[in-house]
Amino acid sequence: MPTASDVLYYAIHFNELRNIIQWQTWHDPVHNRNPEKEAPSLQICFDFLDKTSRSFSSVIKELHPELLVPIALFYLILRGLDTIEDDMTISLKEKDPLLRQFYQNTEKEGWNYNGNGPNEKDRELLVQFQNVTEEFRKIKPVYRDIIKDVTEKMGNGMADFCANAEHNINGVDTIDDYDLYCHYVAGLVGNGLTRLFVESGLANPMLLQRPQLQESMGLFLQKTNIIRDVKEDHDDKRSFWPKEIWSKHVDNFEDLFEPQNKEAALNCSSEMVLNSLAHADQCLFYLAGLKEQSVFNFAAIPQSMAIATLELVFRNPNIFKRNVKITKGEACRIMMKSTQNLQLVCEIFRQFTRKIHKKNTPRDPNFLKISIACGKIEQFIESIYPSQDPKKIIEAQGAAPPDPTPASEAEAKNKAMAEEAKWDTIYLLAAVMGTLFILSCLMIGTAYLFGARFDVALDQLSKGKLSKPSGDEAQSIIQDYDHGEL
Amino acid sequence: MAPDAPRNVSTSVLVVGGCGFLGHHIVSQLLAPSTAHVSVLDLRAPPNRLPNVTYYSADITSPQAVLSVFMEAKPTIIIHTASPPVVSDGQRSAQKKVARELFYKVNVEGTRNLIEQAGKIGCVKAFVYTSSASVVHDTVSDLVNADERWPILRAPLQREYYSETKGIAEEIVLHANRKYGDMLTVALRPAGIFGEGDMQFTPNLLKAYERGQTRFQLGENENLFDTTYVGNVAYAHILAAVALMDTHRLSALPLDHEKVDGEAFFITNGQPVYFWDFVRMVWAEAGDKTEPGQVWVIGKDTGLMLASMVEWAFWFAGGRTPNLTRQKIRYSSMTRFYCIDKARRRLGYEPKWGVDEGVRRTVKWFKERDSRNGAEKKEQ
Repeated sequence: MPTASDVLYYAIHFNELRNIIQWQTWHDPVHNRNPEKEAPSLQICFDFLDKTSRSFSSVIKELHPELLVPIALFYLILRGLDTIEDDMTISLKEKDPLLRQFYQNTEKEGWNYNGNGPNEKDRELLVQFQNVTEEFRKIKPVYRDIIKDVTEKMGNGMADFCANAEHNINGVDTIDDYDLYCHYVAGLVGNGLTRLFVESGLANPMLLQRPQLQESMGLFLQKTNIIRDVKEDHDDKRSFWPKEIWSKHVDNFEDLFEPQNKEAALNCSSEMVLNSLAHADQCLFYLAGLKEQSVFNFAAIPQSMAIATLELVFRNPNIFKRNVKITKGEACRIMMKSTQNLQLVCEIFRQFTRKIHKKNTPRDPNFLKISIACGKIEQFIESIYPSQDPKKIIEAQGAAPPDPTPASEAEAKNKAMAEEAKWDTIYLLAAVMGTLFILSCLMIGTAYLFGARFDVALDQLSKGKLSKPSGDEAQSIIQDYDHGEL
Repeated sequence: MAPDAPRNVSTSVLVVGGCGFLGHHIVSQLLAPSTAHVSVLDLRAPPNRLPNVTYYSADITSPQAVLSVFMEAKPTIIIHTASPPVVSDGQRSAQKKVARELFYKVNVEGTRNLIEQAGKIGCVKAFVYTSSASVVHDTVSDLVNADERWPILRAPLQREYYSETKGIAEEIVLHANRKYGDMLTVALRPAGIFGEGDMQFTPNLLKAYERGQTRFQLGENENLFDTTYVGNVAYAHILAAVALMDTHRLSALPLDHEKVDGEAFFITNGQPVYFWDFVRMVWAEAGDKTEPGQVWVIGKDTGLMLASMVEWAFWFAGGRTPNLTRQKIRYSSMTRFYCIDKARRRLGYEPKWGVDEGVRRTVKWFKERDSRNGAEKKEQ
């Protein structure tokens, strides 16, 4: 049910409402899953997908049938791992081996786990995890190996961070640590998905040779969410903003949330945005390697949402007060544009890049660096979709004399050009008038065929009657004409 | 951050125009870590000379004068950066005509003379010419991500006579490649050079700040613009010289995709930024506190109309060029950036200083110079 504030919002932002309606009416999934043919355990898995993921479940469910189940299970397995990592009620002694060996459990028949605290929101997924393991054992071994490999690496990475007491107290220290943390929780996902895409033949194998691009796909999303969720994470007593960045702006991390430090907090968030923005062009580069439409949509939608979110959080003091998010209308517009082709996704990126640039201010210590990062994205888009063609300029040059023209010659040339322009105008006018004339003839002729009385109309006009007579009046006038005075 | 490039330059290098803005930076970078012997040819040798540099003063359009300097310096590498300054504002049409003649004389005839004398003397292996990124630009249209496939423009397409003469000179230099024995040539096309000792770009911006013009903005500021910190331009020149010397060591002709000799290269910071962002960064470094909300944005069309009115009024009143010109408005609202991938691939060029660092260094230098000048004035 929409809330009263939603209704009010969309009453004012009518365009956004239009976007929502359009998306819901016109969006046609590339592929649909077929629940009737699915085993009960698989249906349970899809139910969990809906419950555990807000944004990913719909795009996953529209994936190509070859990858639909593997990627849905991949998501649930990582969600399970995440649920263990997140749960502060599990002791480190129990958690460490659980994370590191989680990948082995993914194939164990009947494996599940009920050691999560009662308040853990995705607790139920692990309690009924036997459904996931059962389905996981059915998918192609190559896909299974890729998913297990990523799960193992991620589990070890998470365990390393959990075991790091310093990290637990102070959060992320350096920018390198920040990148490493994001690598474990998101960069690895980019790597796993790429291997699945290429293995299934739905993406360009060249993507495997570009680990940096895969990494950026994950990091751009993760870093953007980390900026957006700063308040929520802080309330949960966690923080992922690296000390190397925030310590330049405030003495203690908590100070970011104090109203009197608004300016410093904004500058700090700008630097975080700048850090995230550096991945944007590589994400576009990556998307150019995806061939199949459903895979493209699956990868492109979150990236477009991320650039929009980045614009939303950029120099927005509300991120330190509450949860901010993109409106549903805006999200629908972005999804419509992101489910067609790369050029439209680039359009979205350029649009939000310019909005970020518009909010950028010289009092920000990273003012020009942010401008440079925006320029880099624009230049990249220009490099894949050039707006100028040197061949055309060479042709124009060829039409012009190569050497400086003497004055008289130039004059003659100008005259000739003016003459040419004059005739162009005359031809254009003639064409327009001609078309109008033919159209008029057609209309008048058709009207005549249907019995229009131009003779009457003209005569009446000449008598100064300009307004249209009523039906009865018209009849009597025509009678007068046809029969004269009786 | 001293460049490590000149490792291979252990011979005699002559920098023509070495007392100028860019030339001076090239000379300092050549001196820093290398064992090269550096000499400078300029119209007038400067009062404050660098140690370990031999200075010659000569007019580059005079064959005899140039030849006698070359005989003495016996350069292996010539880096030619000499060029008259682009027309400044407030000139009468008679002065403009003089300027045009000067451009042709120095840029075209001077360059041809240097090439011919260098070819004659026989010891010159590498000739590096400072062209300009404006040779492909008509100063009116947008230029979007242009690379070396774009043609050099000639009148009537080329509307700036300065750029036209730079283009003619560039062709003279590149045609001379391998024509005089084994002398190799290359041309670099830097865009929007700024830095310490800058005579045009930065001083004009700082002047606008002093006049209190920071609350105006012409155009929407969505136009990306390339600038280049002078240190990076100097560095690229040294890389180009090294690349030509390396080409001499090849046993065969270089492959087309790695060829440096006879080629032109765009040189920028590789960081196009929105035009007014660059300007505002310079002003902010100088002390400006204008907030984006306080800026009065004048649309391009309105600006052009205003400027034409002002220009007509000035013309009527005696033919001087006003401060607000249509050309300035076009410049500040036009997109103009380049792709420097060719220089990256073939010269191994990567800017050593970012635009932001360049701006900081530059404005600091101007501030120090002004306070020094202020102190001197007080003493007098």
